Amino acid sequence: MVSALLRLLLRFRRTVVLAGALLVAFLLMTLQVRHESAVVSVTRQVLLFAASPLVRVTSGALHGVQTVWRDYADLRGLRQENLRLQGEAAVLKRRIQQLEDQALETQRLQRLLGLRENWPAEYLSARVVGKDATNWFKSILLDRGSLDGVRRNMPAVTADGLVGRVVDVTATASRVQLLTDPVSSVGGLVQRTRVTGIVSGNLGAVARVRYLPLLADVVAGDEVVTSGMGGVFPKGIPVGRITAVERRSGALFAEALLIPAAELGRLEEVMLLKGMEARQGFETGSRR
Amino acid sequence: MTPVWLLVGLMLCVVGQAILLEPLGVGGIRPDLFLLLVFFLSQRLRPEAATLQGFLIGLTQDALSGGPLGLRAFTNSLLAFVASCLSRDLYTETPLAQFGLLFTGSLGVGMLSLALFLFFFGAVSPLPALLRVIVPEATYTAAAGVVLFSLPRIRAALARLA
Repeated sequence: MVSALLRLLLRFRRTVVLAGALLVAFLLMTLQVRHESAVVSVTRQVLLFAASPLVRVTSGALHGVQTVWRDYADLRGLRQENLRLQGEAAVLKRRIQQLEDQALETQRLQRLLGLRENWPAEYLSARVVGKDATNWFKSILLDRGSLDGVRRNMPAVTADGLVGRVVDVTATASRVQLLTDPVSSVGGLVQRTRVTGIVSGNLGAVARVRYLPLLADVVAGDEVVTSGMGGVFPKGIPVGRITAVERRSGALFAEALLIPAAELGRLEEVMLLKGMEARQGFETGSRR
Repeated sequence: MTPVWLLVGLMLCVVGQAILLEPLGVGGIRPDLFLLLVFFLSQRLRPEAATLQGFLIGLTQDALSGGPLGLRAFTNSLLAFVASCLSRDLYTETPLAQFGLLFTGSLGVGMLSLALFLFFFGAVSPLPALLRVIVPEATYTAAAGVVLFSLPRIRAALARLA
C-alpha cells in the first residue's frame, strides 16, 4: 500500500511538488489575512535574521567605498590645487569642505534632536541600510534591532515628519513599513479644520487620505498631522500636505491625495519613538 | 553546482535589490533581480527542482519585503515550473525574443501578484497598480534581463576580438 502510494507520488512528482509549494504559499498568506500568526512571524524573522547581516555588511562596505572614492576624488582635486596654488589653498579648501560636512551633519542631528521639543518622548536613532526587495511594497531596513530596544509598532519619524512604523524586528535589524505602503493605515487630522481621515499608501510616492466626510472643509495645501486615535502614533506628528481633493458623485466619503512631509525616498537616518509600541488600534490591524 | 548558483544568486539578488539598484530606479521602479534569477535557474533545472528553488527565492524576497509572506513564493514557484517545462521550446538567444519572454513572464507574475493581493488584502486599485508598477517593472526587468543574459556572449565576442 505504502509502496504503491510512493510510486504514485514519484510518478506525479512534478504536480505534487508544484501543488505543495503553491499550497504552502497560499496557507502562509491565509494566516496573515487578519492577524499575523506565530508561524509566519517566526518564518519571517528567521529569514530576515539570515539576510540582514549581508545587507548591513554590504551597506557598510559600500559606504566605505564611497568615502574612499570621495577622499580619492578630493585628493586629486587637492593635487591640482597644490600645483596651482602651491599647496596651501588646497589644504584650506579641504578643511573648509570638512567643516561644511560637519556643519551639515550637526544641523541634521540638531534638527533630529529638536524633535524632543515638539514630541516629548524617548528616541532611538537608526541608520537606513536597505530598501524593500519589491516594487510593490514600501519598507526600509534599519541597523537597529531588539538588542538596541527596538520593538514592533514603534513609530519612525524624521525631523520633517512621520515615516512609518516598525513591523519586523530581529536581534540586530528591523524593518519599518512606510506610510506610503499600500497596506499602511495612519489616523490623520487636517490641522486647519480638525477633520479626521485615514492616511494610507497607494503604490506610489503619494498617499491618500480616505474616509473624509463629503462636505468637510478640506482643500489643497492643508497640512495633515497624526490624530493619535489609531493606537500607534502620538498626536501631532506632521504627516504631509494635501495636494488634491476628490469628491465623486455617489461616494459616501471624499478622498484626498497627500504628499508626505518626510522625504521617504531619501531617508538616511530615522528616529524611533520609544514607549508607543504597546498600544493597540486600527493602525496595527490588517495584515500585521 | 545548482545549490551553489542558487546561494550565490540569492546573495547577489539580496544585495542588489536592497541596496545597489536603488540609484538605478526609474520613478521608484527597479528591475526584479529575483525574478531574473528564477528564470535563469529554471531553464537549467527539472520542473520539480525549479519549483522548489522558485519557492525558496520567492520566500527570501518576501522576507526582505513589506509584503505578505508567501506572495512571491507563490508566483515564483509557478513561474519556475512553467519556465522549466517550456525551457526547450522557449530557449532563444535573440535579444528581442528574450525581451518578449521576460516581459511576458514578469507581466504574468505581476498580474498574479495583484490578483492574490486583491483576493487576500484588497486596498489596492488595480489600474494604478498595473500602470505604475506592473508594466514598468516588467519592461525594466526584461531590459535588465536581456543585458545580463547577454554578458557572457559579449565577453566571448570581446575575447575573440582580442
